[in-house]
Amino acid sequence: MPRPGFVLEVDRSTPPILFWRGENFSLEKLPADRSRVIYPPEPLPAIKDIDGAIRHALLHPHGQDPLPSQLFAGMKLTIAFDDVSLPLPKMKRPDARQRVMEAVLDMAAAAGVEDVHIIAALGLHRRMHEYELRHALGDRIYDAFHPRGLLYQHDAEDPDNLEIIGTTPHGEVLEINKRAADSDLVVYVNINSVSMDGGWKSLTTGLASYRCLSHHHNGHTLQNTRSLMGHREHSALHTSIWRLGKVLKDSGPKVFQIETTLNTDMFPEAYSFINKREWEWTAKDRATYLGVSKGLSLLPTKMARKMFHDIQSPHQITSVQAGDTELVHDITLEWVFKQQLVPVEGQTDILTLGIPFVSPYNPDSVMNPILVMCMGLGYLFNMYRNKPLVREGGVIIMTHPTYRDFHPVHHPSYIDFFEQVLPDTTDPVVMGQKWEQQYAEDEWYRHLYRTGNAYHGVHPFYAWYWGAHGQQHAGKIIIVGGDAPTVRRLGFTPASTMDDAFEIASDVVGRAPTITHLHVPSLLVADVS
Amino acid sequence: MSERRTTSVAQLRKVAKVGDAASAAVQSALRPARNLGFPYRKPSKPKGVVLPVEPNTLGADFDTAWARKAPAKMVRTVLTAGALRAMVKALANPEVEGLDRLADLLEQDPLPAVIFAPNHHSHVDTPLIIATVPEEFRKQLVVAAAADYFFDKKLKGNLAALALNAFPIEREVTTRKSSDELRRLIDTGWSLVIYPEGGRSPDGWGQEFKGGAAYLSARTGAPVVPVFIDGTGSIYGKGMKRPKPGRTKVVFGAPLYPVDDENTRRFNARIEAAVTALGDEALTDFWTSRQRAANGTNPKLTGPEHNGWRRQWALAEQRKLGKAGQRRRQNRRWPDLG
Amino acid sequence: MSRLVFSRKPARFAAARLAGALMPGKGAAVGPLSLEPDERLPLPGADWVRLRPRLAGICGSDLALVDGTAAAYFDPIVSYPFTPGHEVVGDVATDDGGSRRVVLVPVLSCITRGISPVCHACEHGAIHLCERVAFGHLEPGLQSGFCADTGGGWSREMVAHTSQLVEVPDDLSDEAAVLIEPTACAVHAAQRYTGRETVIIGAGTLGLLTLAAITATRDADRHGPIIVTARYPEQKRLAKAFGADVVCSSDELPRWVRSTTQSLVYGDQLTCGAHHVVDCVGSSDSLQQALQVVAPGGEVQMVGMPGNVSVELTSLWHRETSIRGCYAYTRPDFDTAIDVVRRLDLGRLVSAVYPLGDFTDAIAHAASAGRRGAVKIAFDMRSA
Repeated sequence: MPRPGFVLEVDRSTPPILFWRGENFSLEKLPADRSRVIYPPEPLPAIKDIDGAIRHALLHPHGQDPLPSQLFAGMKLTIAFDDVSLPLPKMKRPDARQRVMEAVLDMAAAAGVEDVHIIAALGLHRRMHEYELRHALGDRIYDAFHPRGLLYQHDAEDPDNLEIIGTTPHGEVLEINKRAADSDLVVYVNINSVSMDGGWKSLTTGLASYRCLSHHHNGHTLQNTRSLMGHREHSALHTSIWRLGKVLKDSGPKVFQIETTLNTDMFPEAYSFINKREWEWTAKDRATYLGVSKGLSLLPTKMARKMFHDIQSPHQITSVQAGDTELVHDITLEWVFKQQLVPVEGQTDILTLGIPFVSPYNPDSVMNPILVMCMGLGYLFNMYRNKPLVREGGVIIMTHPTYRDFHPVHHPSYIDFFEQVLPDTTDPVVMGQKWEQQYAEDEWYRHLYRTGNAYHGVHPFYAWYWGAHGQQHAGKIIIVGGDAPTVRRLGFTPASTMDDAFEIASDVVGRAPTITHLHVPSLLVADVS
Repeated sequence: MSERRTTSVAQLRKVAKVGDAASAAVQSALRPARNLGFPYRKPSKPKGVVLPVEPNTLGADFDTAWARKAPAKMVRTVLTAGALRAMVKALANPEVEGLDRLADLLEQDPLPAVIFAPNHHSHVDTPLIIATVPEEFRKQLVVAAAADYFFDKKLKGNLAALALNAFPIEREVTTRKSSDELRRLIDTGWSLVIYPEGGRSPDGWGQEFKGGAAYLSARTGAPVVPVFIDGTGSIYGKGMKRPKPGRTKVVFGAPLYPVDDENTRRFNARIEAAVTALGDEALTDFWTSRQRAANGTNPKLTGPEHNGWRRQWALAEQRKLGKAGQRRRQNRRWPDLG
Repeated sequence: MSRLVFSRKPARFAAARLAGALMPGKGAAVGPLSLEPDERLPLPGADWVRLRPRLAGICGSDLALVDGTAAAYFDPIVSYPFTPGHEVVGDVATDDGGSRRVVLVPVLSCITRGISPVCHACEHGAIHLCERVAFGHLEPGLQSGFCADTGGGWSREMVAHTSQLVEVPDDLSDEAAVLIEPTACAVHAAQRYTGRETVIIGAGTLGLLTLAAITATRDADRHGPIIVTARYPEQKRLAKAFGADVVCSSDELPRWVRSTTQSLVYGDQLTCGAHHVVDCVGSSDSLQQALQVVAPGGEVQMVGMPGNVSVELTSLWHRETSIRGCYAYTRPDFDTAIDVVRRLDLGRLVSAVYPLGDFTDAIAHAASAGRRGAVKIAFDMRSA
């Protein structure tokens, strides 16, 4: 029986707490009697008969007819799927998308459907490498569809392959992939790791164009998204996306949405200490921790990175539902919160976060400084409902080496963003007005996005916007253990140790501040009252 | 000359003396035993009694239980890990697909017993299967081997039992005894490899599937994992004098579970259809195979209805599609005009 | 002892070369440069006067000489022993017994050498391209400061032809005046400015002055950004102060040029680029980088004196770009230079002055000026 998440009040006998620090860990002692640590719930059990559950979902969808009855010979079928930005770390084979898609294709074959296109709904993310597609979809689907040109990746900069579906009353234009727009049925295969994803977001961002995305992917909207993971009514991003979803529903192709949720069993046996509560570490866990952290500090960063990115996670499907997008998504969110929600009372002066080695925007790649900001202030800070964990004007302390290192193939525009935009301004609204257009229209970035494996030219801006709410909310942001000039370029304050960080923070929050530590990486959403 | 003779005679006498002494010693040692009878000696048979029939320990009644005990298991593990896999790699160089279909079975604790049901073209099939199944199954694998072929001689039978963990099974009609024994093995966690065709293909095309696997699965609840093996017929098919190294492909299919009140014949047909579809998948691709499976138009493993040369001709065509057809391109030497 | 002399001693040359390779400027301590007693030079002719230097700057070419890295090219147009120093502000006696403050135009052209008729270049005012710098009634020497007969700025007294003297306006300090000669070089370089995207590689004295000259004299033509590469914080600050649009480090340069010119990339080469690239460093690396970022049909202007550099020229041929030298100035450039010095208060670029006796320290400082936050170092002869 998995235990729920809970809030630990730190006292003098609390052992030091595990913090992620990029490609390593550290154990930090938090001050007694005024610190608390939020522990995520333990992983829910996976479904016993996964393939059976998938079939059941396809045969008994919500708000729609069973899938086989919607498939007929001669139809145009498009299957879109979530790209490599999740799940993190990658799933052991077979991936959830492979299972769902094989079941769908089985039904399509039985109905005699021939015109099937399978599209990676990556939006402005980078194109996936062959080995990533094979991992997500399995060799069978890849070998059957890719050589025929029926399996490909969405190109948001292909003017011949975009179609405008309609406009919302607010003036937002829904422009998506043309093949999907012209299809008789679009089946979406989704994995919902966090509550931010899924629902109308899947199609209206994954298959959208830059023009469509810029309506809600901007500094102003993200500053008013409180939070990314919380109630939709409080998120300007989701409000806009749901408006676009309505346009899709009214004027777009028929959509059969299949959503799956995963449990948080994120690390294999060898790394089990990461998920365990520190006072429950066995001698073996302690030995593993010491061995791993010592070993990692001796390894060159490249090797440590490879070691982490090669991890295949045992997380598995806890629910699968299909049919009408809105009905399905409500059920999905229930399951996500069932796995991740932890009730927390009140806010504190300081929030501490350990930043891991990976974010959704650098799978199998380098975590550059901009993504450190995105992961910390964008994702981890936003893991709340109702109110942030830290009070307005409080201090956020993150731990990460924040080296000035970029992946030249995946993140070329991030390098320029760091060298050109950040020295000029770190304000998301100002940079959007002054610099974004140049990056959006740069032909070289466009070429690399369309033909290479690079994130779109504007993507560093989007990563920055993601942290806009956190950036605005906190009075001071400190990074412990980071490269000092790089941290300053991000607009934050560098500190060498956690104690130094508390010392620096005392300028803002006084000498005895209250502290919350979010014990990630196992995902959790704090329900703050 | 006479001296030599004299010497040899003297030597002979000496030897004779030694021999006498030795035989006297032995006789004196054995003297008490000379009078021993049964139970030290075999009993003599009295007249007029009906002697019981000696149990025939060859063929289907061959005792292979010792091969599943620890010492034999250890020997087999060493053999398999080393010599067997090396031999398979050198002879067959297999490409394995579809292992992800077994992922859910491997997650279960304890590991469930399954029945692997491959098509059969060659003696190489069994070592190939043993070498390519997941490690967890390999440790607990029994191979059903033809009783009349493998277990007709004691030495051959023991060798098969040790190296392959073979179990005797009749080709035509499975007797109650061997099927009970197999059921017992499955219930205690041993996975089984059984060739539904009964024997190797005589002409390169498949044969009709018999119901053994379906029957066992229905009785024990263990799922049947269909397997398609491509290319072994060209390596060491029936009738070939010596094996010819080549390339093979092994495709594992999704486990098939028996359905309540489905008769064995129906289940067997399901298994045969699954292996047929896997064969299509191995030679073309997943999508083509699914589409044809939905229509029932996967190319039959038993081949076309023709006879004689047309059947062989069609076999060659089909083989070109598979692994056997992938020959190394010869290095072309283009004309060099200086 | 108040005269630095550079004499021809091969062994010492070699020592200087070695020392200079180990640490720039260290050649001064062991090389052929030495402090000698005063010696009164004879006046070479009727129109010659004595000039008593107040301040004399140390230039990159002087450093190359001292470290032994100057090319053998200069051998025939230099005469030993000579006193270095061609950036000179000093006093000449006036007829009424007073003195006036002048700055030296060091080029030794036909007119100073008593050559008549003057050569083709001098006739057209291009005194810097004079063809007779090794001829006439003077020893060979392309400029004062490289000639055995004229002496040079790094001493208490030298001789100069009246045509070489330009009056210094009273409102300029000595420090400002000593910057006039290098600024004239920069003004001359700035004439090639096209107004389009321009890159200046190197923000030492030459780079900063070239930037200053462009923004002071040609700002009206500017309709593209000027990008300057600078290594040290003080250089960056000054570059920004003199009007550069972008100041970056040299490994960021290709990316800045790429994004400001909306260029694509193949391999290492930008497809477009800056139309005018000024190389104020003169090394193989800087020249290679200049070729990497210059636009097709554009010009790389070498303002910094290069030695023996090794450069791959395939991109030059393929993209029809040019490399063009830039040396010294004409007379009118000097007058413009005075204006530029005044307007931008360039006297502040003199970071330190040294007496002649401390010449090893002075040269070491000049060689590591950037790193030590300095720009121009000069000798100060005013105290005695």
